[in-house]
Amino acid sequence: MVEKTKKKSRVFNYFCEEDQFAGGVAWCSGCPLELTARFVPKVLGKNMVFVGTPGCAAPVLHGQNVGAWHRLAYMASVMTGVPSKATGLTRYYNRIGQDATVVCFTGDGCATDVGFQPLSGAAERNEKIIYITYDNEGYMNTGNQRSSATPLGAATTTTPVGKIGRGKTTVSKNLPLVMLMHRPAYMATATLSHLEDFAKKLQKAKEKVKKGFVYLHVFSPCPVGWRINSNMSIEVCRNAVRTNYFPLWEAEDGKPRFTVEIANPKPITELTKLMRKFSHLKEDGLAELQKAVDERYALVKSLCDAYK
Amino acid sequence: MKAKKGQVRVITGNAVGAYGAMICRPEVVAAYPITPQSELAEQLAQFVANGVLDAEYVEVEGENSAMNVVLAASIAGARTFTATSSYGLVFMYDALQETASFRAPVVMVDANRETPGIHAVSSGQQDMISARDTGWVQIVVENDQEILDQIIMAYRLAEDYDIQLPVMVNYDGFYLSYLAEAVEIPPIEDVDTFLAPLKQQPGRQKLVPGVSIGCGTHGMEMGYVEARYKHCMALERVKNKVDEIDKAFGDYFGRYYGGQIEEYRTEDAEIIVLASGSAAGTVRTVVDTKREEGVKVGMVKLRLFRPFPAERLIKALKGKKAIGVIDRSLCFGWKYGPICMELKTLAVNIGAIPILSYIDGLANLDVNVPHIERVINEVNAAAQGKPYQEVTWIPMEE
Repeated sequence: MVEKTKKKSRVFNYFCEEDQFAGGVAWCSGCPLELTARFVPKVLGKNMVFVGTPGCAAPVLHGQNVGAWHRLAYMASVMTGVPSKATGLTRYYNRIGQDATVVCFTGDGCATDVGFQPLSGAAERNEKIIYITYDNEGYMNTGNQRSSATPLGAATTTTPVGKIGRGKTTVSKNLPLVMLMHRPAYMATATLSHLEDFAKKLQKAKEKVKKGFVYLHVFSPCPVGWRINSNMSIEVCRNAVRTNYFPLWEAEDGKPRFTVEIANPKPITELTKLMRKFSHLKEDGLAELQKAVDERYALVKSLCDAYK
Repeated sequence: MKAKKGQVRVITGNAVGAYGAMICRPEVVAAYPITPQSELAEQLAQFVANGVLDAEYVEVEGENSAMNVVLAASIAGARTFTATSSYGLVFMYDALQETASFRAPVVMVDANRETPGIHAVSSGQQDMISARDTGWVQIVVENDQEILDQIIMAYRLAEDYDIQLPVMVNYDGFYLSYLAEAVEIPPIEDVDTFLAPLKQQPGRQKLVPGVSIGCGTHGMEMGYVEARYKHCMALERVKNKVDEIDKAFGDYFGRYYGGQIEEYRTEDAEIIVLASGSAAGTVRTVVDTKREEGVKVGMVKLRLFRPFPAERLIKALKGKKAIGVIDRSLCFGWKYGPICMELKTLAVNIGAIPILSYIDGLANLDVNVPHIERVINEVNAAAQGKPYQEVTWIPMEE
């Protein structure tokens, strides 16, 4: 049998900076957040300021006392102040002609819940900032509690499975779609299984942020909270795309389009079988989840079709 | 050197706040309208629209964001300004603490109003009092001219290299926010001159992209303790600095306010009424009438509330026979008003004299002449050894 030559990833072509993070950082093993955090400055360049919160990113971005595990300018914030702090920074940098990319980097808990108001406000004001949500579908840093990004049926410590409880009873908030309705200069979804797609979107983000607000929503499975094997997190990302659970799309100047289209989407069970947060779901629960995924995909698709 | 005579305008306290900010040339302004401050937010936006004020004006979606915007811009190096009141100040609570802990020299105006729970759209100092442990410098003013002058002095204080703390300038909502008085607005060049010494100091640390620098990050154990210690020491330095700036301001512009406290006919006084804000004006008048009747009464106007001007108060009050304190807010869980409670901590230095607490002027109820006459009469009786009531809710006893 002839072995196929492995195609070299072209993602390196998008890098303009060396890694800004130290080796051996304090994130959980197998967590895609680490790769995401390293990846973003490599493409955006180090002339940036990260604004972050307490959360999964905090142990590394905040650091402890005077030491942090990266070389970037960084401002820590409480959950409710991230896009507003970024606004203050970017307005002043623009005023004095200081070249800078101001990047908010928060989890879904901050973006969809407690920090949503200022996010919506900054998007509406069209502030020149990039907001990146790493979506691990819950408050993972505090120990796997539900957020509004937690999907239907998922077991978390605040939507537990018990004699009566069957996990979360409502569907997740579709934040990418909500952000599209703010008509940002650019918005996109991305995940680590499709790195080149992600890199392209970051590059567009860097360009488009000169015109206005940019929103990126990055699917980021949590090996601990979702109970997946730590060597499987990229596989989970891939299957989330292939099942249309997490479609990859973008909107430049308000016009949505898919960047990756799946010819024959796999059933949702291809994703749910890789983790244990859905393991209590029987056929009817899985059918409901499938229905929610299909509905959501159809809505995004109808928008994309409308702009074709 | 003296400043030139300014332009005299008859304008409301809110408009004065906007003029005061404008002549200090803030670079980033964020404000969210709230009664009774709204006119100030509108006026600043109009200044920007007219090209009179060259600033980034961020029309935020709430007060919490207003504080976050000016905090971050300040850390990036900007001179900033914001204004709020009551519910707005409460909504900023987390950001207030961050701003002080980040040592961001933000200047904010707070038009004092009662706080949430009982929906009182009316004057009172509860908002400012409830924010006292956030680490801010808090100054209370009495009239429209003092609003303007204190905003200028606030920048000189906040941005002082030895201080680097946010300053909250408080004036009575409703009473002053809507009261039009004649106010002298100094020429902007003279304000530049007065603030010029700030440019001679070493530059403060700023958040710059491309440089490895963290702000507001984890400070565990000693990291936390050291930052808090330095913050508290800076607050201690504020006291003398307020007096120094008041002197420099008076020497240049011709108006002195007394710094941390203003003493009125206290020198030979046997009894003292301690008041703050616009009520102090009425107290001053009643002190004059009572003096004519032969009562040896004086007034101390508290200007600096945080840090608490302990040393100046001890000096002014030592040897007096009795003190009456008028509080326009409450200290839940203590029977005295908050300012009275704080004054009582100095009792060991002042002497074992009667200190009478008066709760008055809540929710737009006037601290009027009969009320103050009553305070003086009762304090005077207490000074002569007669029995007295420790705490009096004046409106409840009418």
